[in-house]
Amino acid sequence: MSGSKEMRFPKLRQRLYSVWYRHMRVYTKHLFSNGFPPFLEPLIFLWGIGLGLGQFIAPINGQPYLVYLSIGLLVTSAMWTSSFECTFGTFIRMEFEKVYDGMLAAPITAENLILGEMFWAGSKGFFFSLAVLIVVGLFGKLPMPGSLAAPLIGFATAFMFGALGLLVTSFVKTINHFNFYMTGLISPMFFFSGVVFPVESLPKKVQWLAELVPLTHCVRIMRFIAALHWDSVILWDAAYVIVFTLIVGFFATKRLKKRLIT
Amino acid sequence: MQTPVIEASDVSKTFGSLQAVKSLSFHVNADECFGFLGPNGAGKTTLLKMFYARTARDHSPQSRLRLFGYDPEEDELSIKYMSGVAPQEDNLDDELNVIQNLLLYARFYGMPSAQARRRADELLKFLELSEKRKELIRHLSGGMKRRLVIARALLNEPKLLILDEPTTGLDPQVRHLIWDKLRQLKKQGTTMLLTTHYMEEAFQLCDRLIIMHRGENIMEGSPRQLVAENIEPYVLEVTDLQANPELRHQPLPAGVRLDLSGLTARYYAASFEALKSLGDQFTRAPHFLRQTNLEDVFLKATGRMLDERQ
Repeated sequence: MSGSKEMRFPKLRQRLYSVWYRHMRVYTKHLFSNGFPPFLEPLIFLWGIGLGLGQFIAPINGQPYLVYLSIGLLVTSAMWTSSFECTFGTFIRMEFEKVYDGMLAAPITAENLILGEMFWAGSKGFFFSLAVLIVVGLFGKLPMPGSLAAPLIGFATAFMFGALGLLVTSFVKTINHFNFYMTGLISPMFFFSGVVFPVESLPKKVQWLAELVPLTHCVRIMRFIAALHWDSVILWDAAYVIVFTLIVGFFATKRLKKRLIT
Repeated sequence: MQTPVIEASDVSKTFGSLQAVKSLSFHVNADECFGFLGPNGAGKTTLLKMFYARTARDHSPQSRLRLFGYDPEEDELSIKYMSGVAPQEDNLDDELNVIQNLLLYARFYGMPSAQARRRADELLKFLELSEKRKELIRHLSGGMKRRLVIARALLNEPKLLILDEPTTGLDPQVRHLIWDKLRQLKKQGTTMLLTTHYMEEAFQLCDRLIIMHRGENIMEGSPRQLVAENIEPYVLEVTDLQANPELRHQPLPAGVRLDLSGLTARYYAASFEALKSLGDQFTRAPHFLRQTNLEDVFLKATGRMLDERQ
């Protein structure tokens, strides 16, 4: 068979973009119900912690508790959204809605689809961090201009947790199993990774555990950048995030592909 | 001689201990409608999935599969770009409406939006869905969803259209409408592959077909040829043999073959007269004399008993 048409399948960039675009289109279909909560959540925190709990807590490292917590929330909002997106969301698309069956009949590969999921998760992280930045920033509770980097850190955080979520999804047989991941790993990370209190306050014996999990590194990077403060430990954190994302992303792609291409 | 659109030789697929497709070899020519006919679990869908790289075939030195000259495992993008797939299960985006579904999908082909709009409207008209342009997917009937899935498969003007049970579960009106549209596409030069377990559908649409059973090619040919070569021209169906129990054990007239299942007896023969006089003896049992069709061939080939995969 000859002809030129076959060689004109879209380039890699376009293929990834079409996966991303599909998710964006479906997500923004319900702009209000999907777009409102990311703004509401930081408000609830501001009121609940700021007006309530915060008054009873001493400043941490010279920062009012509300400011300390808010910097952490810039990052955790990205973690939460991408973790849900790439576990429950991906599983539903794969097993219930059969969305991937349709997408994989189009000229994209399974690898394109999986990488596209990660970019989409990253983008949602960007948006959720931005929402926290806007709300808390408007109340003047974030150090400026350093905190303006939050959406970028949010993107990296969400991309990484997206990859991790996809890896978990590649093992999961029924949707209820995600509860173990959410309650067993994501929730503890929220509490013990330097978001609600400094890692240094943990007993010495378990501090290495905090150093082991990914969220700690994202939060630390965010804190340093927010304070416009340089410390060489950032290099370790950045290296961790990059290497973790590459390794987990590689295995997530490999394993999930096996599930999509039988 | 033109190169075939699909060349397959010794193509197999094993899932664990189950061999879903067993060493199939065939070729599909351009402008042809080629069918895979078989009961549920025969391996039809698995086979189709191999064509667009959703399933990897078993690797062996002799095994070879080419579409447009490309191996799906190496050039899936080229193959997918030139093909349209309508899977068995409707997998439209429920959150979006009809036209949005098409426009979104056009992105995957890198189609500029003006062209996508034009093509989508053209296809909605072709499949008689123009009035449903803004309708949400969940408000569509099964037949409309199926037509929309076919429209989606046609977006990039595919040279090859892959249809997995295109009319299963649809009412006769929709089924005939879809058949009509598929025939039009074929006339315009689209090569078609379809799986079905409707004999009527295979008979109406396919130029050639393979009857599959438990992953194997049982027989291959044009529908007419399969009927002519594999079964007697006439059959007398007696649906309640117990109504005339005395006839149950009488010797069969020469040239008549009996196929017994449950209470139903089917007498096959080349001679219409022989069956007519046999039928006259069934004074109480309801009976019906007719020409044989693809379904008779199919049941003869695949057996009447259900197996564990059905």
